[in-house]
Amino acid sequence: MTNLIDPVAEIDEARAADVVIGKGRIIFRRFMRNKTAVAGLAIFLVLFAFSLFGGFLTTWDKETIDPLNIGMGPSPEHLLGTSQAGIDLLALVVEGTRVSILIGLIVGGLSVLISAVYGCSMAFFGGKVDSVMLFILEALIMMPAILVVAVATSGGGQSLKELPSWLLLIAVLLFFSWMGTARLVRSLAMSLMQRDYVKAAKYMGVPSMRIVRRHLVPNIGSLLVLDFTRGITGAILAEVAFSYIGIGIKLPDVSLGVLIGGATGQVSSFPWMFWVPLTVMFLLTGSLAMMNDGLRDAFDPSSTSIGRASTKKKTK
Amino acid sequence: MLRYLGKRALIYVVMIFLTTSAGYFLAVSSLKPALLEQEKIPRPTPEQVANSFRLLGLDPNLNPWERYVQWLGGILTRWDWGRSPNGAYVNAEFADRVMISTRLFLASIILTLIIGVALGVYSAARQYKFQDRAITSYSYLVHILPAPIAYFLVQLGAIGVNDAVGERIFFVTGISTPGIEPGWPAFVDLVAHYAVPTFAMTVFGWAGYQIAQRQYLLDNVNADFVRTARAKGLTRNHAITRHALRVSFIPVAQSIAFTIPAIFTGGFFAEAIFAWPGVGLWSIDAIGKQDVNVATAMLAYGSVIFAIGAILADFATTLVDPRVRAQ
Amino acid sequence: MSSDITTQPSVVERQPADRLRDAGLYAPGDAVLSVRDLNVRFNSENGVVHAVRGVDFDLMAGKTLGIVGESGSGKSVTSMAIMGLLPETADISGSVRFKGKELLGLGDKAMCRHRGSHIAMVFQDPLSSLTPVYTVGHQIIEALTVHNPGMSSRAKEARAVELLAMVGIPSPQARLKSFPHEFSGGMRQRVMIAIAIANDPRVLIADEPTTALDVTIQAQVLEVLHAAQEETGAAVVMITHDLGVVAGMADDIMVMYAGKPVETGTVEDIYYRPRMPYTLGLLGAVPRVDTSQKSSLVPIEGTPPNLINAVTGCSFAARCPLASDECRTAEPALLAVDGGTGGHRAACIKSGTLDGVDAHRIFHAPPVPVSKFDGVSRDGRATVLELKDVKKYFPLLKGSLFKRRIGTVKAVDGLSFDIREGECLSIVGESGCGKTTTLLEIMEFHPDQDGEVVIGGVSNKAATDGKTKQAMRKEMQMVFQDPTGALDPRFTVYEVLAEPLENLGMPKDAIRKRIMELMRLVGLQPDHVNRFPNQFSGGQRQRIGIARALAVNPKLVVLDEPVSALDVSVQAGVINLLDQLRAELGLSYLMVAHDLSVVRHISNRVAVMYLGKIVEMGDVDQVFDNPRHPYTRALLSAIPVPDPELERTRERIILQGDLPSPLDAPQGCNFATRCPVFAALPREKRDKCLTLEPALAAEEAQQFACFFPDGEIDADMLVVHA
Repeated sequence: MTNLIDPVAEIDEARAADVVIGKGRIIFRRFMRNKTAVAGLAIFLVLFAFSLFGGFLTTWDKETIDPLNIGMGPSPEHLLGTSQAGIDLLALVVEGTRVSILIGLIVGGLSVLISAVYGCSMAFFGGKVDSVMLFILEALIMMPAILVVAVATSGGGQSLKELPSWLLLIAVLLFFSWMGTARLVRSLAMSLMQRDYVKAAKYMGVPSMRIVRRHLVPNIGSLLVLDFTRGITGAILAEVAFSYIGIGIKLPDVSLGVLIGGATGQVSSFPWMFWVPLTVMFLLTGSLAMMNDGLRDAFDPSSTSIGRASTKKKTK
Repeated sequence: MLRYLGKRALIYVVMIFLTTSAGYFLAVSSLKPALLEQEKIPRPTPEQVANSFRLLGLDPNLNPWERYVQWLGGILTRWDWGRSPNGAYVNAEFADRVMISTRLFLASIILTLIIGVALGVYSAARQYKFQDRAITSYSYLVHILPAPIAYFLVQLGAIGVNDAVGERIFFVTGISTPGIEPGWPAFVDLVAHYAVPTFAMTVFGWAGYQIAQRQYLLDNVNADFVRTARAKGLTRNHAITRHALRVSFIPVAQSIAFTIPAIFTGGFFAEAIFAWPGVGLWSIDAIGKQDVNVATAMLAYGSVIFAIGAILADFATTLVDPRVRAQ
Repeated sequence: MSSDITTQPSVVERQPADRLRDAGLYAPGDAVLSVRDLNVRFNSENGVVHAVRGVDFDLMAGKTLGIVGESGSGKSVTSMAIMGLLPETADISGSVRFKGKELLGLGDKAMCRHRGSHIAMVFQDPLSSLTPVYTVGHQIIEALTVHNPGMSSRAKEARAVELLAMVGIPSPQARLKSFPHEFSGGMRQRVMIAIAIANDPRVLIADEPTTALDVTIQAQVLEVLHAAQEETGAAVVMITHDLGVVAGMADDIMVMYAGKPVETGTVEDIYYRPRMPYTLGLLGAVPRVDTSQKSSLVPIEGTPPNLINAVTGCSFAARCPLASDECRTAEPALLAVDGGTGGHRAACIKSGTLDGVDAHRIFHAPPVPVSKFDGVSRDGRATVLELKDVKKYFPLLKGSLFKRRIGTVKAVDGLSFDIREGECLSIVGESGCGKTTTLLEIMEFHPDQDGEVVIGGVSNKAATDGKTKQAMRKEMQMVFQDPTGALDPRFTVYEVLAEPLENLGMPKDAIRKRIMELMRLVGLQPDHVNRFPNQFSGGQRQRIGIARALAVNPKLVVLDEPVSALDVSVQAGVINLLDQLRAELGLSYLMVAHDLSVVRHISNRVAVMYLGKIVEMGDVDQVFDNPRHPYTRALLSAIPVPDPELERTRERIILQGDLPSPLDAPQGCNFATRCPVFAALPREKRDKCLTLEPALAAEEAQQFACFFPDGEIDADMLVVHA
């Protein structure tokens, strides 16, 4: 997933040597100027670190039952309390956050990749290929995704049963998450193909694949970067919503959605079990939304409000 | 125009057939009601299960293709969408379920559309002022809150109100109290059941329309034709309300037309949280019970509603946009 | 938004009355519109832009003031400030008086009483200036309702019909119910004019009203504006970048540069006795359509200053060949010129020495380049491109949602011509005539095309393998219209220029050397190769585009409107460069352009296209001086010439209507529907035009497709301004 952001950083470095300010650097600067976005990035990184190393904050793991503390509130022994089964909540939240971030990154990243390839192919081949691919895409948009998710994850079928439920959920979310972006990529790529510089390359006799690689893909890049963060948010939210009503991730796998959903029954007796994972989810999706705002401003100068432009003067 | 809509409808029929068939194969190969039967007490023998399922048209010993042919034949010859493992007919239950969903969603979808569009216009007119920032921030906040959790929080709030008053004002789940006498008490009971879900779905539903209407209007506020209207002698506000607003409504009308049919499909999350046994809850329950025929029928129904929405959206565009109408 | 003029430091610290006395023109009481020391500032991300810096003028009743300037000169902002249509964030100071009443500082509501009734405006882009969802009638009636709330709806409708008829819209009663998208661009601009004159304004501001239109349509719309002015007696402010457009219309001219008026005077003063180097350069930079020029154009090097940094000294000094240290110390005031009429003022400390000087000399216009082919007769040169009966038909689809085929558009209908070594052939015609499609067909170079394209001896019919195509790509390259769109914004100039060379498999060292060579060739600094296109001006970007086309040493360069996106002063430099490259490198050009003045300057031969066919072709001077086909005659007559005397007196042919839809392509001569000669023919002779299609026949070196060349023009289509 990092390779989606890397090109920008790479360009940035390559151009840093010049006196000229490269586009990557301008984007980076614009992003850094947006305080909200930087704060969002910081929160996200903290949560990411928490999901990886949070386990060291407690001696308990996500499976061991503490028979002495069942359904207890926060205490020095269990910083965030324990679940009804007597499992340390901190350990569960660390695990849940990791699963949620994992689902987000994988679904967000791969769906961007799929939509880029699918959308570009439609625009590039055009004609009959385009019509057929568009038909498939619209048919998929038409299908109620949630039903398919439910069927796939609750099935008693032999082949699917072997997979862990989170992997199954990733597969299904992925299947239904890329169509909107693919359609956007298609129309963007189509308009790019009409640009004079693409025509110029064509008239120079530059091979088609090289035109796609050198002219189309980099120019669609900013859309894809934006869609990547949006895709992560979408996947995390979908996981929580599905698991919450019991059709997403199933125990013994743990995710934020499973934790939140499992705690709603006794929210008045064990409030920490509900509010702790909910807060983490909020921080996660909120930080991504904050970043998204900054990325949009960084990539698209025209979206900057007049109000902001007049108060912040660029020091060049 | 009619020819065009006819062609679109035909394409959608093909699409619905394909998605439904694909859905059927997915369902038939992953849903195994026979396994659930095994958990019954007294435990039936596999032969007994197979036998009773064969009578329901759910023979587990047939391969998926054979079952598909049998199922499709039933629909095409008798418009019979099959039966559930418990013997119920899909066709018979369908109407009740749709009725319940419609009752749940009718008011909230209409409120959502009206409030969303109105707030969109209001916030665009006060761009970057406090009201705009508050309304728009709220809409973005809604985007990062999963619907079931949002509904649950509203339920908590309603329970809080009930507790504070010390009386049960709102019902947070269910359709009606069993055995209530008709007339005024029944009406009060209906409102008490209706208020919480409608409120929840409305306040968490308008965000998308608010943001869209605000953006479309802002896109048009500085359009050349607004400048022309001002040059005629219209004040800025008049020019915007008479010209920019009307043009910005074109895409909004399209999405409203697309949304309207959704009244009849209900929603999975709302019905699950508020325990209204409409179409959405029926589908989820059916899948829990490994019910192939209901799951597939609901998939087909969802696709049909989507297609109707899409065609209505086209139709709405021709109504509000003379550029399309003329051609 | 302050109307307090004393708070703004003006360049010359004097009272307006003094300035007027200086100008010695008019008593302020006579003016319908008086503008004094108008300043407009905007906040932008990069700082405060001082877009208009001290504009003064008086507009007398019934007179026309032309404001001339390039993009960014502040001319449009001035008009918007007068109308009170600038965004609230703009900081406006100075004074704008309508019949003595101050307009600046009025609220939106108070201003609305003047907008549309006393002062009206026509905007540049007719396609986006009308609300798409209301009928034309609704929009005209709205303008009436705002200022005449008591008017009956019947009276309003009658007035709307009258207005539409006045601006020349056929069957106005029926057209009231049409929507804007059912009108062509020219028709929409007529509607805009109808709206503007609906309430008999005393001042009519027209901001580039014809820039987006074709020349024949431009001529029609200018006629409508002229008629509207006569009808209403309004004073007109005509804003334009085209010195030709205002020459015949304006009484006075104000030349703006970098937000400031730099020269004002009567139209004769400005065109015949310019006293500011910028005006001199501008006049010399425009090629003339009416005379054969055997000199280069006047290039104005550099670009206008950005208005963020305060200017010290003359804002034109950086581009002025006469600038001395004195020019850079203080901004010169707009003062009456020595020996001129009182109204002629120029902002140049050297204006006294500029009486009657030759712009070519002071701007160091390059000598006319001589090509090695100049001495060789046409027959003695090799053919680099030949087209034989090339056709391109498109299916015409209707409907925005569902497309169905309703006919065939013959975009290119049997084109044959050839281009010899060292020669420039230009294709001219209105938009939609098929000239751009012709270029694309040539660039496509595919065996399945209808007709034969031979490039450097290789026919498209033989181009079945990649190698042949590659060979042809080396022979022919293209320069695009929009220099910004033609360069990938993510590529540095080096990468842009390296692309064609890498494609040929040239080694890295050789590429580097070649790129440095190319940069020098097109007049760019070689050390700028690491920059991105957005760091160059429009003219420089077009030079990069030319360099890219030349990278592989082609014999033929296809130019698609190469200078139409550029400002006048920049355009001259690029045209000179193209001239010079053709001579030095022995290139041939195939150019498509709508600006006939540019065509005349740069081409050797010209082909006039109408609805997919060539109607006249020949040597450029021959065709322009002695056009035979009525369409060519009309086209040439539609071009305004930057010469007020000539503009006022010359006869012009005004074609009726727009380019017909290619579907209605009639039998016989397809120009007959608009033909001014056909209209004047006696009935018995008309049959020939309606049934037979005239072939392109040669008479000496000139070919044309008309049965009645040089025929008499119908009197209705002939206009002479008294």
